[in-house]
Amino acid sequence: MAAPSSLYTIRIRGRLGATALSAFPTMEAELDGDETVLTGPLQDQSAVFGVVAQIEALGLELVELRRIRPTPPQT
Amino acid sequence: MPGGKGATTGTSVADGQAAGGPVGAAPPGLLDRKDLLQLLDRAVAKRLTVISAPPGSGKTSLLRTWADHATKLRRVAFVSVERDQQNEQRFWCGVLDAVREPANPVTSAAPATAPAVDQVIGSVLAELAEHAGPVVLIIDDLHELRSADALTQLEYFLANLPGNARVVLSSRRDPPIRLHQLRLADEIAEIRAGDLRFTEAETRELLAGSRIGLSSDAMAALHQRTEGWAAGLRLAVISLTGHPEPERFVAEFSGNDRAIGEYLMAEMLDRQPGEIRRMLLRTSVVNRMNGELADLLTGRAGAEQMLLALEEANAFVVSLDAQRTWFRYHQLLADFLRLELRRTAADEVPGLHRRAARWFADRGEVVEAVRHTVAAGDWPDAARIVADHSFRWVLEGQAATIRTVLQAFPAGAAADHPDLALAHAAAELNQGRTEEAAAQLALAESHLQSGPPARRRRAVAIASLRLALARRSGRFSEVIDLVKMLDASMADTSGERPAVGSELRVVALLNLGIVETWTGRLIEAERHLSDAATLAQEIGRPYLEVACRAHQGFPSKTVSVTAARERGREAVALAERHGLGDHPIIAPALGAVGGMAIWMGEFDEGERWLRRAWEVGSAHVEPATAVLLHLANGMLQAARGRQRSALDAFTAAARTQSLLTGAHALAPRIAGWLATTQARLGMAAEARATLAAFSPEPGRASAIANARAWMCLLDRNPGMALEALHGIRNATPPTEPYSLVEAHLLAGNAHLRSGDRDAAAAAAEAALTAAEPDRLVFPFALTEAAELLDVLRHHETAHRALLADIADQLRGESAPGADREPPPHSDELTPSELRVLGYLPTNLTRAEIAHELHVSIHTVNTHIRNIYAKLGAGDRSVAVQRARQLRLLSNRLSPTSPNHLRSVRPRPAP
Repeated sequence: MAAPSSLYTIRIRGRLGATALSAFPTMEAELDGDETVLTGPLQDQSAVFGVVAQIEALGLELVELRRIRPTPPQT
Repeated sequence: MPGGKGATTGTSVADGQAAGGPVGAAPPGLLDRKDLLQLLDRAVAKRLTVISAPPGSGKTSLLRTWADHATKLRRVAFVSVERDQQNEQRFWCGVLDAVREPANPVTSAAPATAPAVDQVIGSVLAELAEHAGPVVLIIDDLHELRSADALTQLEYFLANLPGNARVVLSSRRDPPIRLHQLRLADEIAEIRAGDLRFTEAETRELLAGSRIGLSSDAMAALHQRTEGWAAGLRLAVISLTGHPEPERFVAEFSGNDRAIGEYLMAEMLDRQPGEIRRMLLRTSVVNRMNGELADLLTGRAGAEQMLLALEEANAFVVSLDAQRTWFRYHQLLADFLRLELRRTAADEVPGLHRRAARWFADRGEVVEAVRHTVAAGDWPDAARIVADHSFRWVLEGQAATIRTVLQAFPAGAAADHPDLALAHAAAELNQGRTEEAAAQLALAESHLQSGPPARRRRAVAIASLRLALARRSGRFSEVIDLVKMLDASMADTSGERPAVGSELRVVALLNLGIVETWTGRLIEAERHLSDAATLAQEIGRPYLEVACRAHQGFPSKTVSVTAARERGREAVALAERHGLGDHPIIAPALGAVGGMAIWMGEFDEGERWLRRAWEVGSAHVEPATAVLLHLANGMLQAARGRQRSALDAFTAAARTQSLLTGAHALAPRIAGWLATTQARLGMAAEARATLAAFSPEPGRASAIANARAWMCLLDRNPGMALEALHGIRNATPPTEPYSLVEAHLLAGNAHLRSGDRDAAAAAAEAALTAAEPDRLVFPFALTEAAELLDVLRHHETAHRALLADIADQLRGESAPGADREPPPHSDELTPSELRVLGYLPTNLTRAEIAHELHVSIHTVNTHIRNIYAKLGAGDRSVAVQRARQLRLLSNRLSPTSPNHLRSVRPRPAP
C-alpha cells in the first residue's frame, strides 16, 4: 500500500550523540567534518516535515536537506 | 487551576505575581538584558511585534522579564499556547482569560459548553478596548497553534485591534498569517534569533551573576561555542555551577564538535543526582505534572521538592500556576528527555503512559486519559474510554470535547475501532453532516450486534443519536417510530439502572416533542416536552432540560402569544443559568421570542432576538430551526416594507424547509408569504408556481388562500379576492387568528377597492377583534393597512386603543418624520456616525460593528463616543431611544437581516 519512498540526505551542524540520533531511527548517520549527514528513505512530504520538526525541536541546526533519488518501486 | 483547564495557560501578570520571580531580580541563569528589554520597549510602539527564533533562544524569558518591568507602565496580558493546540475555541478562551481584568476572572469550573469562537474573539477585543490605558497582549509559543481556523481568526483579530492595544507574537517560526496590511502601515516590529543572542559582555555578566569563575579565555570560548544561544548558555551555567573544574568543562565542550544542545543537555542530565535524573526521564511522558503525578510516575515520593528546586535553579522547569503546584518542562528539554527515556528504557514507556492515563481518568480528565492510553498503544482501551464517555458528552452538548478527543486517534481509526464510530457520529451530527453521521452510526450499530455483549449505555447512546439524526434530517415519522420502539424496549428491561432508563426516556421524549413542535402538534409536544424537562431536571441533565424548554416558546390553542413569549424568555434565562446561553440549542427559543415580538409589532425587539438566534446558532442551527428564523426574518422585512429582503428570507425559508423530509408546520405560511411577496414584486408567474407546487394539508390552507387573495387584489380583481377569503373569514370553528387577521384586512382592502366603505370598515373592525387578544399587529404592517384603518375614523370601533397603537406603529415604520418636527440634532451627526448609529439597535458588539463596516474598533469607539455626546446619551440604549425620537434611525437602518451578518457583498439600500 505504502507509496514508494524517496531517499533523502539531511545535513545537520555538529556531531549527533546517541540520544539525538535515536530521533531518526530510519536514517543512517555519517560524519562529515563537524557536520552529521543523515541518509535514509522518507515516505512522503509528511515524513520529510516530521523530520524537520524533530530537528527543530531538539535545537539542532539544519544545514541542508536534499532528495537524492526516488527509490524504484519494489516489485 | 491549570490542572483542569487543559489547553492554554493564560496568566495575567498585571500584578506581577505570576511571572517567575520577584520584579527586578533575575533568577540564576536569567539575566536582566537591558538592551533587549529596551529593544522590546521600542518594538511595542508598533501595533504588532513578532518574535521569531528557534527553541532555546530565550524568547519566553525575555517576555516574562519584560512583562514584569512593563506592568508599571501598562497592562500586560500573557498567554502561552499549550503544546499541539488544535482547538481554536480553547485557544481563544485562554486569550480571553488572560485579557480579563484580574478583578473579574472567569476561571470558574469549565462551563458545560464553551461559547462560540466569534463571540469569544469579540469579547477579547471588547475587553482590550474597555481598558483605559495601553495594554499589551503577549501570545507565546504561537507555533504550537495547529488550528488553521485559529490562525485565520488571529488575522482578523489583529486587523481589528483597538488603538490602545499592542500584540506580541512569539514563535519558533515566522507565523503563517498574512500581515501585509500591518506591514504596509509600518506597524510591525520584528525580533529575530540574531537580536536575541547573548553578547560577549552579557555572557560575562551571566556567569558572574551565577558565581562561576572562569578565565577570560574560557569565557570567550564558551561564548564562541554557544554563539550566544540562550539555552546553551543556561545549560552550561547549570553544569558549571559547583563544577570542580569549570575550565576543563569549557575546554572539553569547546574542543569537541558535538551538536551543542544535545551535548549540553546530556551533560546537565549526567550531572544530576540519580533520583532527579530518574524523575526527569520518567515524568517526560506527560505534558504537565504536579507532585502527586510525578511521584506516581517516578515510583517514589519527593518529586515536588525536586521540581521546585529545579525551577528555582532555572533548570528548564516551569511552574504553571502562582501556587507552584503544576509544572512542565521547557520544550527543548522535554523533547530531549523523551528521546533519552525511549533510548534507555523503551520497555517502560507504555507502562508510564498507562499510569498517567489512569491517574487522569480518575480525575475526570478524559481527554488526557485518552491521549496517554493511545500513547501506550492500548488503542482498543482508548476507544472504549471514548465510547463510554460519548453518551455523557452527547447529553451534555459537549461537541467540542468529542472533536478534541478524536484528534488523539489517526484518521481512519474508526474503521479499526468501531467503538469510536459513536463519537464520530456525534461529532458529524453536530456539524450538520448527516450523511457522514448516518454512516458512522451504522458502523457503531453493526459493532453492537456482532461484538461482545452490548453495554446498555452504548445501546442507549446509539438510540439517542439515531433519534437526533432522524430529527435533524427532518424524518419526522421515523422519530415517532423510533420512540415507539424504544418505549417497547424500555418496558422489558426492568432490571436496568434507573438513571440510564431516565436518560433515555428524556432523550426520547425530547426528540418526540421537538418533532411534534415542528409538525404543528403542539398539544402533544407540550405534554412530552414538559415531562422530559421535569425528568431532566430531576436527574440533573441541564443540557437536556434547556433543550426541552427551548422548544416550548410557541403559542398554541392552550398557550397565548404572551405566555409563549414568556416561556421563551424563561428558557433563555434557564440556559444562561447553566452556562448554555450561547449554545445552538437555545436558538429555537430565541427565534420564537423574536417571532412573537414581530407578531406583536415590536419589530426592533424582534430583530434583536433574531440576531442573537443566528449568532448562537451559527453554522450548527438545525434546519427546522433555521426555517423558523428565516420566516421570522422575512416577516420583519415585509413589515418594514422591504419586499426584496423579504423575498430573500422567504426563499431561504422555503429552501431550508425542502431539506426536511417531513412537512414543517410553518410550510403553508412560508409558501403563502413567498407567493405574496413574489406577486407584490411583479413576479406573477413565480408566485403562481410557488402556490402550484404547494399542496397544503386539509385544514391548513388559510395561508395559501390569503396568498391567492393578495394576487387577485394585485390583479385588480377585488371580487375574486373576497371569494378566496370567504372560507377563512366564515369558518366554524374560527380560523386561527394569525391568518384570520390578515384575511379580514385583505377583505377590507378588497371592499375599499370596490368602493364599499361600510364593508371595509366592518372588515377592519373584524381584523381588530381577531387581533386584540394577542395584539397581532404584524398583519396590519404586512398589508399596509393605514388607509383601511382610516375609514374606521368615521365609524364606531370597540378597539380604539389598539387602533391608535397600530396607527402609530404603521406611521413609525413607513413614513419616518413625515409628520414630525425636524430633528434638532441630526445635522450634527456625520455620515460615518450615522452609519455606526444604524447598528446600535442591534445586538452587534463594537468589534462586530467594526467588522461589518470594515473599519477598526478604534474608529467605531470614536464614533460611538461622539454619537453619545451629540445625543446626550449615557449608554447605548439611551442613544438608541434618543435617535428614535429624533427619527435618525428608522429610515437608514441598514443592517437588519441576519443574512446580512454573513453576506460579504453590500446590501442595496432598502
